[in-house]
Amino acid sequence: MFQRRYFATAIAILFVLSVLAGCTSTSTDSSKSSSSSSDVVELKVWLTPQWKGVLDASEDGADYDSFFKHAGERFAAEYKEHNVKVNVEVIAGEQRDELLNVNLNGGTPPDVFFESVFAMGDYAHRGALVSLNDIVDEESKKDIAQGYWDSVTFGEDVYFFPFSHNPGTLAYNADMFKAAGLDEYIGGEYEIKTWTLADYEKILNKLKSDIPKDQYSNAYPMGLYALNNQGDTWNLAYLRMFGNQFFDNNGNLIIDDANGVKAANWLKKIYDDGLTNPGVESVSSNDVNAMFQNQQLAISFTNAILFNNAKADMESGKAPKFDIRLANIPSESGDPLSFTYVTGATVFDTKDETRIKVSKDFVKFISTDAELVKASKNGVPVRTSVANEFKSEKPYFEAYSANDPYMFNFTGNVPGYSQLRQVLYPELQALYTGGKTAEQAVKDYETKGNEVIEESKADSVIYKK
Amino acid sequence: MKINKKSFKENMTGYLFIAPQILLFLIFLVYPIIEGIRLSLFKINYQDEVFIGFDNYKKLFSDPVFVQSTINTVIFVVCIVALTVFFALFVASTVFDKNAKYVSFIQGAYYIPVMVSAVVMSMIWSFLLNPANGLIPFIARKMELASVNFLGDTNWVLPVIIFVTFATNVGQAIILYIASMIGVQKELFEAAEVDGASRMKIIFKIIIPMVKPTTIYIIIMNIIAVLKIFVVIQLLTGGGPNNASTTLMYYLYNNAFKYNQLGIASAVGVIMFLITLVLSTPQLRTMLKKN
Repeated sequence: MFQRRYFATAIAILFVLSVLAGCTSTSTDSSKSSSSSSDVVELKVWLTPQWKGVLDASEDGADYDSFFKHAGERFAAEYKEHNVKVNVEVIAGEQRDELLNVNLNGGTPPDVFFESVFAMGDYAHRGALVSLNDIVDEESKKDIAQGYWDSVTFGEDVYFFPFSHNPGTLAYNADMFKAAGLDEYIGGEYEIKTWTLADYEKILNKLKSDIPKDQYSNAYPMGLYALNNQGDTWNLAYLRMFGNQFFDNNGNLIIDDANGVKAANWLKKIYDDGLTNPGVESVSSNDVNAMFQNQQLAISFTNAILFNNAKADMESGKAPKFDIRLANIPSESGDPLSFTYVTGATVFDTKDETRIKVSKDFVKFISTDAELVKASKNGVPVRTSVANEFKSEKPYFEAYSANDPYMFNFTGNVPGYSQLRQVLYPELQALYTGGKTAEQAVKDYETKGNEVIEESKADSVIYKK
Repeated sequence: MKINKKSFKENMTGYLFIAPQILLFLIFLVYPIIEGIRLSLFKINYQDEVFIGFDNYKKLFSDPVFVQSTINTVIFVVCIVALTVFFALFVASTVFDKNAKYVSFIQGAYYIPVMVSAVVMSMIWSFLLNPANGLIPFIARKMELASVNFLGDTNWVLPVIIFVTFATNVGQAIILYIASMIGVQKELFEAAEVDGASRMKIIFKIIIPMVKPTTIYIIIMNIIAVLKIFVVIQLLTGGGPNNASTTLMYYLYNNAFKYNQLGIASAVGVIMFLITLVLSTPQLRTMLKKN
């Protein structure tokens, strides 16, 4: 009896010990791997989809991570201080904040993140990024215009190394315009056409009535969306159409005025009049972009990179071919509404001095290497030297520059911008579904938005400095 | 004390055998619950944590989106659980005593959606219902019918989500009910038949009372599952239009991962935990008492 009991106890102890041993051996393994990894510095580089290929989307096997894989290999080969391995991961734009917040809270942020600055400013305010002041060299300061440095500077410090910029405009299907008898409104091949608001309304109405149904079945004049925050910069631009300035000097929203209401009413009207795709409140910018590429929309949103990708898709046969051209977002004053996304790399505070140092060197490498910076031609280069080099090859660069005087700062550099974005689309949904009047929607957006801004100011490490 | 020590010694083997399980339970279940409660009392930034007492809870109850999420969640729980129980009871009581092959076919047909990932199901529904390029609105336009935006209309969005979730989940309940009904003693049915009881009487007087433990189990499991409804909302409506389909879980997710408001998200988690506890305890007690 006793023997049997001791036997069972021994088995139980062995069982527990084996579990513990399992845990111990795992921890030994992990410590081994971390010690071996101390010889090789592994960098986690994340980016959202930007351009395909190292320098050009026409390269064989061109993909969104091609540039960073190539840059990582070159950096590993040329870097003297450590053995470096660069792991590149492309993450979906709409999942950026989820992934970053999970990894930040879990203590595993990426080392380097390449993205539009507007979407990442909050992380600087939260103290999650390290300053890049020490890697900004004099030559880059001269080559990159001050305006771009301003957009990557939070408080006193630079947090992103400007690489390219990506101006937002409208794109239109010139073939559909011709089919609807709108030849006179078609701009030049390399022109960014500016229409007056009255012209624009005329275009939308004519497209609605005169697009040949047999040629373009199930097609609509203009793409509009409000499912989530993706592509919301165009929605912000539409809300400025009647002259609203959006932010005051203290960084508070001032959308709730006559001009803001007028713009919201205009959006509601074109939706109700059937001048847009149906179901705007539950359609995403991705849906709209796909519809435009499938020739179900005559006018849609675009930016320099999206525009190049659309052209590349047409060339490769992935999407139907048509005459795609650019136009500005019109306004009541007649001046175009113009904005740009400055893109660049930033370094997260991983609390590991070595990795931070190597990450900064990697960011400097991709942002200053004479060969690599040429990839900025896929958007619009922030470097004057690169823009000049590709001027003849990329005639759009000149057209984009012509818009510079009309640029507006859509983020207002306010803290809490990510959360502020989450406040806008529910109000637009309420507007489109008739749940709220234009007056109520802009009023509620302003109230909720200013609450977000106030709270974020209180938490911002930059405001606290 | 001596007795305790003695009994502890005697049960040592048993304790050692369950020790790993208890350890995992403490680490992966108890600790997160305690940590969640603790976090709900803090304001958390990337760099520090500040104790703010019940401020997160106060903020929650003054937020109309949270109130809307709670109402929506309650509507989902009541409608989906009721639909599931009634429909599953109806199907199971109709087919359980039929030919075995027929029963298997019915079980399989209803269980297939349960096996398909919720993500895939949601994507298929999105493809069907997308107002711009979805199949159903497209056919409606072709047939010149009045087009309804099922996902963008505040009156339609809740019924659509209820239907989608119900259709995905009901197979599980049908399988459980059929198994339970097959297990009811045959003598009861024979006696009822001898007494000339109608099918309806058999269902209401014999079958439903006899499968009560299964009903309680299905209700508890579905309440817990529907309280956590998320994937359908995330993929089909994004909580819209204008937060009309936001649920507690979606609200929690947004706060935790989009707005980085971990304190608020933890407070929502604690409230959901309490709601689940309150809703499940009476049923659980009934079940335990019977057993």
